[in-house]
Amino acid sequence: VSQESEPTFEQARAELERIVAELESGRADLEEAVRLWERGEGLYRLCVSKLDAAEGKIEELSRRAESVRPEH
Amino acid sequence: MKVEATLHGDRKVYSVSAFNRGVGSWLARLPTLWVEGEVTELRRQEGWQSVFFTLKDLDDGSCLPVSMPRTTFDALRLDLADGDKVHVYGRPELYEARGVFQLRGLSLEPLGLGAALARIERLKTALAAEGLFAAERKRRLPLLPRRIGLLTGNEAAAKRDFLTAVTARFPAVRVLVAETLVQGVKAPASIAAALEALAAEPDVDVVVVARGGGSFEDLLPFSDERVVRAFATCPVPVVSAVGHEQDTPLCDLAADARASTPTAAARIVVPDERRLREELDRMRTALGRDTRRIVERGRHALAADSLRLVRAPALLLERKRARLDSFAGRLRALSPRATLERGYAIVRTEAGIVRSASAVAPGARLDVELAEGSLGARVEETQE
Repeated sequence: VSQESEPTFEQARAELERIVAELESGRADLEEAVRLWERGEGLYRLCVSKLDAAEGKIEELSRRAESVRPEH
Repeated sequence: MKVEATLHGDRKVYSVSAFNRGVGSWLARLPTLWVEGEVTELRRQEGWQSVFFTLKDLDDGSCLPVSMPRTTFDALRLDLADGDKVHVYGRPELYEARGVFQLRGLSLEPLGLGAALARIERLKTALAAEGLFAAERKRRLPLLPRRIGLLTGNEAAAKRDFLTAVTARFPAVRVLVAETLVQGVKAPASIAAALEALAAEPDVDVVVVARGGGSFEDLLPFSDERVVRAFATCPVPVVSAVGHEQDTPLCDLAADARASTPTAAARIVVPDERRLREELDRMRTALGRDTRRIVERGRHALAADSLRLVRAPALLLERKRARLDSFAGRLRALSPRATLERGYAIVRTEAGIVRSASAVAPGARLDVELAEGSLGARVEETQE
């Protein structure tokens, strides 16, 4: 997994939240706003695709633990 | 070991020593195990190799003599007294010199609330002093763990409760379940090892330790130093869902988050997928709306600018005209016209305006300007 290029779900969502707050504040100028919007849309799609791609799975770890001997 | 017998006729006879040795060697093959009972007749003296006491059955009063190496006993630093309930870890043996069957104690754990509580309290103080429970050690749980490690006993309830709740909130959740002993003397080592093994699995971002309610004794392993340390040093955040609300095993203090039940733990470790999607959609809507607002603001500003641009020449002209009008007014005020209106007249000759009678001679032609029209006239006489 290329951690540097693609943010985790959590990072993406946090950045999306920041972008929305920035736009909401109305401080951004037009050019900046369009840039932020594009970035935000990308992050939204990334988050949703991550949710869509998740696949449920319940596995069992082999019971290695039970071979542990008492220490006395 | 071969035990020698002598023959008396057809009778095989053993010496006491040989008999004891034989029984002793047979007993020595029995396994090492834990025995629970009440301490009576505790005998300890400096200089003795061993400490002796009798372990009495808690129900029917059956007795078992116990001997334990004094150094081992002393190292436990237990303030043991007659009447204390204990677990003795040892193996059966025969004290051959006296032909007495006894338990050879290798370790001992005091039972009972008082002793256990005191021990937990001491451990808690020591670990707290070490900073193991410090708030700044607590790690934030991942919002969306790639994989959840679930550590439970083989009791169905805790595991089922957690899995049910977690899949209800987030159907696509990935869980790796590890079962471990959660009760008894082996439990602490087993829990610690299983926790370590789970955290080492790829993509496990958080581990939930779920154990349903139980008696105070049942939960003791979760206050064991090995378990508490395993919680604290676990490379990924640990959620403790051990026992009920009122229980506070020490592992709760070392965990990064605490849940009162396995179901509550599920709520902590995964977001509600439906809500998460709703939230994402809300943010997206806000994103578009706010961007549009900023664009709209820009458009308005531009429209206002262009309007001003269009209006500018007319405005300029108007301003100029206004200034001109005011000049005209002032000009008019200065003109003799108003004076003429009041009945005055301007008298001119060809030489200009006549201000003095001496400027003209009788018979001179005059041009008299009135408020309305003018007259041609001749001078009859002059007076100075």
